[in-house]
Amino acid sequence: MNSRTKKFRTVYLSLFFVILYIPVLSVILYSFNKSPSTAQWAGFTLDWYKELFNDRVITEAFKISIQVAFLTSILSAILGTATAITSMYVTKKMEKTINGVMILPLLVPEVALGVSLLLFFNALRLPFGHLTLVLSHSLFCVPYVYIMVQLRLKEINISIIEAAKDLGAAKWQIIRTIIIPLVMPSIITASLLALAISLDDVVISTYMSGPTSTTLPVHIFSMMRVGVTPKINALCTLILVGTFFIVGLSQLVSRKSRKEEEFK
Amino acid sequence: MMKIKMRKLLGILLSSILVLSVVGCGKSDKSGQINLMTWGGDFIPREIINQFQEETGIKVNYKEVTSNEDMQSLLEANPDQYDLAVVTDYMVDILRQNEYLEKLDKTKLPNFSNINPGYQGNYYDENDEFSIPYAISTSFLLVNPEGVEKLGASPITSYQDLWQEELKDNIVVIDWSVEIIGLVLKSLGYEYNETDPTKVEEAKEKLFALKNNIMRFETNTPEDSLINGEAVAGFMYSNQAVKGQASNEKLKPVFPKEGMPIYIDSFVMSKKAPNKEAAYRFLNFLLQPEIGAKIAEITNFSTPNKAAEEYLPESFKNNPMLNLSDEVIENTSFYINVEEVLEEYEHIYSEFKMR
Amino acid sequence: MKKFKQNAPAIPILAWIGLLVGVPLIFVVVLSFLSRDNLGNIVFQFTLENYKRIFDPIYLKVFLNSFLLAALTAIITLLIGYPVAYFTANLESKKRSLAIGLIMLPFWISSLLRTYGWIILLGNTGLINNILLRMNIVKSPLSMMYKFSTILIGTAYMLIPFMIIAIYNSVDKLDKSLLEASSDLGASKWKTFFNITLPLTIPGIAGGFTLVFIPSLGLFFISDLLGGGKTIFLGNLINTQVTKGRNKPLAAAFSVGMIILVLVVLFIYSRVTKDNKEGLF
Repeated sequence: MNSRTKKFRTVYLSLFFVILYIPVLSVILYSFNKSPSTAQWAGFTLDWYKELFNDRVITEAFKISIQVAFLTSILSAILGTATAITSMYVTKKMEKTINGVMILPLLVPEVALGVSLLLFFNALRLPFGHLTLVLSHSLFCVPYVYIMVQLRLKEINISIIEAAKDLGAAKWQIIRTIIIPLVMPSIITASLLALAISLDDVVISTYMSGPTSTTLPVHIFSMMRVGVTPKINALCTLILVGTFFIVGLSQLVSRKSRKEEEFK
Repeated sequence: MMKIKMRKLLGILLSSILVLSVVGCGKSDKSGQINLMTWGGDFIPREIINQFQEETGIKVNYKEVTSNEDMQSLLEANPDQYDLAVVTDYMVDILRQNEYLEKLDKTKLPNFSNINPGYQGNYYDENDEFSIPYAISTSFLLVNPEGVEKLGASPITSYQDLWQEELKDNIVVIDWSVEIIGLVLKSLGYEYNETDPTKVEEAKEKLFALKNNIMRFETNTPEDSLINGEAVAGFMYSNQAVKGQASNEKLKPVFPKEGMPIYIDSFVMSKKAPNKEAAYRFLNFLLQPEIGAKIAEITNFSTPNKAAEEYLPESFKNNPMLNLSDEVIENTSFYINVEEVLEEYEHIYSEFKMR
Repeated sequence: MKKFKQNAPAIPILAWIGLLVGVPLIFVVVLSFLSRDNLGNIVFQFTLENYKRIFDPIYLKVFLNSFLLAALTAIITLLIGYPVAYFTANLESKKRSLAIGLIMLPFWISSLLRTYGWIILLGNTGLINNILLRMNIVKSPLSMMYKFSTILIGTAYMLIPFMIIAIYNSVDKLDKSLLEASSDLGASKWKTFFNITLPLTIPGIAGGFTLVFIPSLGLFFISDLLGGGKTIFLGNLINTQVTKGRNKPLAAAFSVGMIILVLVVLFIYSRVTKDNKEGLF
């Protein structure tokens, strides 16, 4: 690549990233604005953040989001890992079928999926709340866990497993003592991913929430329609910080495991 | 070594989140709570709910919805998950007919007598057995006279004036077929929710002619567009107009002579409500005079509570948007038989939007 | 028999996913053929009425509108994203990790926040208008909100990371020796690009297209927040029929319509990447 192309490349990429991040930075910037409207900048303040902590509905919604996300993460981790390990032991054709079925929830647009689940759960007369939220969130989180764990599984050196078999280990023993520890970093990273996805979900949660369990994004969405104040900016900024924390955590875990792999 | 430390840290972090969330879970005690369906935007002021929770220890859970039909769907699907809902007049009638509502036990509502008789005995609940009125409102036009003049249009005094070409892309309206078609019907001198096919056809054509002038459809905060100058006129609910004028003195209300709707939002109780006792306590609490006055002040709705009137501030009583004159009230009417016309009106409205 | 034994453990898993995804979808398909009474309750009477309604010119317009939005979003993200992916793949290792990180990061940021940012930027009293007014570039605020283009910007912004990553994967896997051979044989840079790079990255483009097109159909909160309610999209239509319209069979029919649209796109994708080992699945 010659220098002229390189220059163009730098300009294009820089411009792109600036535009990519301006909307996000604007939200953060105006969360500190004294004036409730973006029309003028009235000075720096933390008042909107203070308001957040006094808002019981928001803290309630936040609690619910965390509970749902946490349970979703665990459920997805278990189901996703179990399916991934199972996929290693079945026939090729079956593996392809599992792949297809796993991808299915991700292919249906969220609106259609949400409405289907709504009508379905209604017909079953299920109470809408934590149960429906966790079930529906798991639906689109399990595929991610499945894909990530399966990827890692395929990287495992098959000779280790062969050796264990030769030494007389039963299937369960092999899974418990060899496979799971080896894929643990992937499981953790995938669980954190499921956590983040569940926390962010808007569309499906809109349909699945009940009177006592409105998730935070659903509440934020209705806040945005009702009255735009910097309180929303402050809330979004805090969520941003929280998400980065989770992402940072998952990066640490995956980097740690990669370093260990290199040493082996 | 590091691997183990990392794992331990993660384990502690995750288990503390788990503990926190479980502890948070345990607090809600089934007997001391009520489940509510309400409109968004502080329709029942947070302050009032907090006060009730502090005084009685009963927790108030609520789900915010965006339409009466939404509330109807939710009540039908899970009648035993909700205690109370605040619905608009015509929906009381529908729910009553479909037998979802509990006949209220007045002995549990000593403050019932505080209600202004002028707002009772209406078509949707002639014997006042199923509903407790909560908020009275209307809708009319909020106008920025200076802005209208700058555009070269004549001053807006009626619905008809909204069709002026000069107002292109400068009007904001609430987003519902029944309201907008109602506005058009009134401008033609007809009644709300007209079913006569020729009249409906006429309204449809006139409706299409209005498309270019509408800048935005917004049910929750239409007054914002007038405050920040995006629009010079808007058709919105009275409480929104009050908020608009409070933020921008230049905005003035216009009560169209052609007629206006009136809404009485009332509390109804589900027949299968899980926490009936607590629900009665809540209703009785809201019917206290001082509470009624506070609600009116915060929400900018007119109050159906006669005993509350003496606690209202002067500014409230002097505001023509809140203290409606007799002349204006005579010109208002309910939206009856919404169910009958809804499907057709929604279809016309969809066609209108897709032009 | 051996095969069955081997496949047996998969059954509970398939049952779970099948139950949670398959059954609601089957339910929706069945529902779309049922009718309803005046009170909005479902009546078990077979009817094609709901599907006939889809062919109502207005509803067809809505389908078209959504299709248009999804297609334009995919095209825009392709045009802007391809150079990003291409340049990033050619960066030196350290810079490349940084770039990839920056591209993926918005994916982790709340989708509401990412949409809200545009409300702050584009409103009449928003950041862009503030700057333009203060610098006297315009006399009165530019009206940028509540238009089709506003929704387009919001949706493209939301989904562009998918397009970039899909193309990046393809570019990354390019056999560099092919490119070298091409230039050794005397082809100009552009010729190399159009004759070798572009065709070889078609799987990535197809993948990106699919990954952007499908979600575009369903992100109704973007059109809600940025569109000012002026046009109706498929997501809004389904949503309205379930809640306000009280016509669940009709909503079901619309949902089935949307899913069919998705299947068509997936079919096209599988045709395009037929001979390729890589791709999404």
